[in-house]
Amino acid sequence: MFTVLPAKICWKYLNLIKYMRNQYDLSVVVPFLNEEESIRHMYDAVMSAVEPLERPFEVIFVDDGSTDRTLEIGRELAAEDDRLRIISFRRNYGQTPAMAAGIDHARGRVIVTMDGDLQNDPRDIGALLEKIEEGYDLVVGWRHNRQDKLISRKIPSFIANRLIGKVTGVPIKDNGCSLKAYRADIIQNVPLYAEMHRFIPAMAAIAGPRIAEIKVRHHARNFGSSKYGLSRVYKVLLDLLTIKTLTGFFSRPTLWFSLLGMPFALLGILFSIATVFSFFTTGSFPMPMAGTGLLFIALSMFLFFNGILGELVYNTGETRTEDFARMTISSRSDNDSATLIKEFDTK
Amino acid sequence: MLQLSGMVVVGSRKDNLRDLARDYWRALDATNQTFELIFIIDGHQDDAVSELEKVRSADKLPIKIVQLSRSFGDATALMCGVDLALGETIVTLPAYYQVDPEELPALIQQATECDVLLVRRNPRRGGKFERFRRRVFHRILEAITDYRFSDLGCYVRVLDRKVLQELRLYGDQHRFLPVLARNAGFTITEVDAKQSKHDDFRSRYRAREYLHRLLDIFTIFFLVRFTKKPLRFFGMIGSLIGIAGGLILAVLVVERLFMGVALADRPALLLSSLLVVLGLQLFSLGLLGELIIFTHARSLKEYKIAEIIGADDSGAQNETSQPTLN
Repeated sequence: MFTVLPAKICWKYLNLIKYMRNQYDLSVVVPFLNEEESIRHMYDAVMSAVEPLERPFEVIFVDDGSTDRTLEIGRELAAEDDRLRIISFRRNYGQTPAMAAGIDHARGRVIVTMDGDLQNDPRDIGALLEKIEEGYDLVVGWRHNRQDKLISRKIPSFIANRLIGKVTGVPIKDNGCSLKAYRADIIQNVPLYAEMHRFIPAMAAIAGPRIAEIKVRHHARNFGSSKYGLSRVYKVLLDLLTIKTLTGFFSRPTLWFSLLGMPFALLGILFSIATVFSFFTTGSFPMPMAGTGLLFIALSMFLFFNGILGELVYNTGETRTEDFARMTISSRSDNDSATLIKEFDTK
Repeated sequence: MLQLSGMVVVGSRKDNLRDLARDYWRALDATNQTFELIFIIDGHQDDAVSELEKVRSADKLPIKIVQLSRSFGDATALMCGVDLALGETIVTLPAYYQVDPEELPALIQQATECDVLLVRRNPRRGGKFERFRRRVFHRILEAITDYRFSDLGCYVRVLDRKVLQELRLYGDQHRFLPVLARNAGFTITEVDAKQSKHDDFRSRYRAREYLHRLLDIFTIFFLVRFTKKPLRFFGMIGSLIGIAGGLILAVLVVERLFMGVALADRPALLLSSLLVVLGLQLFSLGLLGELIIFTHARSLKEYKIAEIIGADDSGAQNETSQPTLN
């Protein structure tokens, strides 16, 4: 009979089912948003790039709520070719949810993601796949001769990449490049939401994957217009702070919040001492000074207890560090057992 | 399964329920579809129950009456009703006259094309101020959510069952159901219908009501725009306050160091550090929010899929039956 299983156990079984379901060698995930001119070209390019690899593959196009004929054209293409699947969203959700949907529904052991606007070249998929088969968990494309405007795109993204690398400790030269390849059992376990697509390597870093970066081709836009502009410095900064918090401290919130509060506690104590000192030397009692000191001490207390609340959140949540640890162990031991079997066969 | 479920949540505002039940029954009957009519009584209202019992016994109309143990609010009462309803299409109806019941069959007919059919009372009575107030409310909502509606206060709505099952409403969200439905990607149309002559709007809007609406708008703003990004929301407010405090603090420090103005005795010191502290507290709340989202991210699927084309599993399996080396 059916019984209600706790969400955690369900999740594990789901993973197992997912793993067993992974029947292709390769899934190519491409999100589209209003790309009626380029979707057909993209389809041709992907197919002609992947077919020569001679592996079972599938292609997943994700239509992110396009308002033009993108979905119609996709439907026509999918009717003729059952290696192509189209996931269409009810409305526009953004690039990360589109990638996440494709990844969730992918059935390949390796997942390659790329942009739908023909700026990435599907001919690079082979090279990415090769790297994965060398034993890397995550291969990132680097658009080394980027075909974009210098001032509005290249320089900001250079600074952003350096910053992201410094803060997250994953020094990747080109975080904005969508052309990436992942082992499915890693990426399907990394929570992807909001606008995290820029930080997938950093997020995946919780699981400690082996990351490689290879040069890929980049083309200027032929069709449509760019959907992603410059005015997002503030958002990237906040996201970066989030990533830093999550990757470094998500299982140790008390420590993180205490570290935040520490300087204020010291400052507060300093101010309080100064107040007492001034009382004994001059006889007057500087109220603003005393108030500020107490305020800072209160802030550090508040932050500390926020950390305690964070422990509660972590304890009741579904995502835990052990899961990430387990993930890498299993993927490594898979590899090891595979090599063992090969050695055994040759003996 | 039935085709239609009429659902009336009986709250504090109600007209003569016996007449209302008979009118609604007649209207649903005129659609020539199989239907039921459910009255959900939100809290103890003995007068309402006895009125409705009379409909069952004296008028011989088999309406269903659900009595909730206490008052839970419109949205929760509605969700209870949805759990009990048997209809494919759900027609929410207010416990008072808003739209002329004779209009209902035509409205239900029109609802086949979309997920949610909203009714706009037009032509609508009401003085100049009344109209102004309404327009301001809807404009604010539009500015915040980018969704344009013209009569959110009208509770006559025809919905596909899956809409209500997916949007687990709570609190005061009944009014904002269209906003949440649009946000979840459902198709929505608005049609005009004649306002009932019994629809009485006066004395409904007192000062407290305005405050409630304002808080509702704020909640909707957060729900629609920032649910998955709490740090953007808290960080925006927190950093504005924090930076303001930091600037004042910097001015004070510069004055202390280079102009010899004493620092310890200035109330501005207290103000600026208060602002910094407040900003940081908001910021840390945002971080805590991010932690909540992250630890639950697996079960919170952000996107809603309309359809998957070419999801033919059996065909796919045949294709890949050849063994592959990992």
